[in-house]
Amino acid sequence: MTATAPVTPGPRPAVRRPGMTIPGPARLLRLELRHNAMLWLLPVPLALFWYNGYHEIMALPPMWNLRAMTLQNRLLLDLVIPVTGAAAWMGSREGRRNIADLVVGTARPRWARQLATWAATTAWAEVACLACVAVVYVMTARQASWGGPLWWPVAVSAAGVPALTAIGFAAGAWFPGRFVTPLVTIAVFFGLGFGTQAASGDHSYWQISPLTAGAFDIGAAPGVATFYHYLPDLSIAQVMFTAGITLAVLGALGASAARSGPRLRWLTAVITAAGLAAAGTAVALAGTGRLDPHGMIVIPALHDAASNQPVRYAPACSRTPIPVCVHPAFAVFLPAMTTAVGPELTEVAGLPGAPARISQVAEVYQQEPQNGITSLAGVPGGSAFILTDQVPGEPGATSAEFAADLEDTLGVKLIRDVILGGNASAAAARPSQAQLAVIAASVRPGAVWLGPSAADADAPEVSGRPLLALSSPAARAAHRFSALPPAAKHAWLAQHLAALQAGQISPAQLP
Amino acid sequence: MTAGAVCQAPPSALRLVRLHAASRRLPAAVALLAACAAGLRAALFWHWDSYGALQLPLIFEAGCASVIAVTAGSPFGDPERATGRWLPFLRLGAAAALTALAVGALTAAGAGAHLAGGFLDVLRNVAGLTGIGLLCAVALGGPLAWTGPLAYLLVSVYGLYTDWHPPTLSTPLIWPARPPHDLGGALCAAVVFAAGLIAITVRGAREPDGG
Repeated sequence: MTATAPVTPGPRPAVRRPGMTIPGPARLLRLELRHNAMLWLLPVPLALFWYNGYHEIMALPPMWNLRAMTLQNRLLLDLVIPVTGAAAWMGSREGRRNIADLVVGTARPRWARQLATWAATTAWAEVACLACVAVVYVMTARQASWGGPLWWPVAVSAAGVPALTAIGFAAGAWFPGRFVTPLVTIAVFFGLGFGTQAASGDHSYWQISPLTAGAFDIGAAPGVATFYHYLPDLSIAQVMFTAGITLAVLGALGASAARSGPRLRWLTAVITAAGLAAAGTAVALAGTGRLDPHGMIVIPALHDAASNQPVRYAPACSRTPIPVCVHPAFAVFLPAMTTAVGPELTEVAGLPGAPARISQVAEVYQQEPQNGITSLAGVPGGSAFILTDQVPGEPGATSAEFAADLEDTLGVKLIRDVILGGNASAAAARPSQAQLAVIAASVRPGAVWLGPSAADADAPEVSGRPLLALSSPAARAAHRFSALPPAAKHAWLAQHLAALQAGQISPAQLP
Repeated sequence: MTAGAVCQAPPSALRLVRLHAASRRLPAAVALLAACAAGLRAALFWHWDSYGALQLPLIFEAGCASVIAVTAGSPFGDPERATGRWLPFLRLGAAAALTALAVGALTAAGAGAHLAGGFLDVLRNVAGLTGIGLLCAVALGGPLAWTGPLAYLLVSVYGLYTDWHPPTLSTPLIWPARPPHDLGGALCAAVVFAAGLIAITVRGAREPDGG
């Protein structure tokens, strides 16, 4: 007699209902999805993105263009190491485990099995990629004052993921040694991260790199893709390039694995050739790019002329004596702007020569040799201004610097135009001591040291030397005048502006 | 017996070292370290901007550290552990020798060229990254030991990036972003390297569950 252990019921066998048969490739893919290294590595790209990219992106002002373009510049670089590493790891699986001969007899060709593994790895990598995008875009949607998500930067990043996995997977499959995974990962990281170093100018072939969002030395700037549409030209070329690389590598992988007859060899050869043609064409297209005046790259063969039209928007205006109107994407900066130049606005509001309203206009860019970009910052007339690219939240830009920059540009321009008449007259070119005293008293100390821009040839020659000599009567007058509140300055100017402009007031007559 | 024969190492010890080196693919690792150094040398001929010049050596240092870490994996597992009295010393010697070789090769590759940070930077970074790799080998196994140095590479590249774009990451835990003579960064790297060496000497790389 033997003791028998109680029989515990095991797991019930899966019952497959009729009509629910999963096709073979789908079942293979499901198996690969469940046993994929990328699944276990998912926390790594998410953590790296959180550490590297997310903090920097979310520190930027809540503008879609800034965050989307920076996302394109950061995301793929944060993904490259875990994604390429996982793909190489999966690609080397059969060789690493010495089971290549064992699986030769399976029903599927080797290439089909490899494609299933690659697809599963890519799918998990895309999950990581899109999760990062979703977090950034959801947060931005809750904060942005204008606009909507830009999808082309996302498309470029998403299209770059299969290329990374294809390269890693193929390297692992071809050379399944223990050193291959780290080395191919390093090589791809080097190529991706340093590939843009060779870029030079708007005709560079290297701007095909999927990390490149917009023109070099402009990149993600507040004024780019704000007043005008985001141009997808470069993004289209980049997607074409990464898709071509993916096809070429996968085709080459199939060619190396194809022992199933001439049909498969022909198919893989055609895929490889098509991929190489697409990638080569994309590189050639990138080389025909040129910088458009609004800071984006135009590729003539891919350009849609309708994109050149300015974006329609209702400006956001301040409730100040002279309304300051900005593009609604910049509305978040309006309080800081009105605080910075509020005294000047109060002082000159309603005076002859003062604008009834000041409106922000788009910056105009021009490509210089190499990577130089000229920003034509000067705008004619006193009713328009350009907001600096260094808005608070941009790397290295502070609120204090933003306010100081506004006072040095917009504030000085307002006061100067009113006091000197804002025209090219001889009187404006040779301001009187009283006029200089009023200007010096009305703007931030030090601002009057700034010279006029090259585009503003009408400005008086005040650069390179102090506006007023220390301890001079004009300096003492400026000191007295600066102590007045803006309303009092306005009242005095309302009565004496004509005489001041005519040079009939001496510094001693200033209150 | 001659004096020369006494000074010679026993043939069995040499054979043990040779077999250990072969089992860890040390000849291939040495060749790859040399390739990394050659790659760095070739890259230094290129004109890099400020970012690139600082970040470039780090790439190759991480590559060397990954190679060293991957060699820690044993193809034999428990049988080797049961029979190898000298195994801890062999593991220690292999890791230390490869690290020294990597530092020497990368420094030599930068000789006469503008190698950002110089010898101290190479020494600190290679040692610290190798320490991370050895700790990963103990925790994850030799084949996956590369994950630590490469993930840390990305963190370090970002740390260097913040030197231009504040807020700067000034923690010594990200030692590649610190100046070469920084004591805090050097101490952190040394501690990590020592921890990695001790861990790999005492425990060895984790055996894979089935790859």
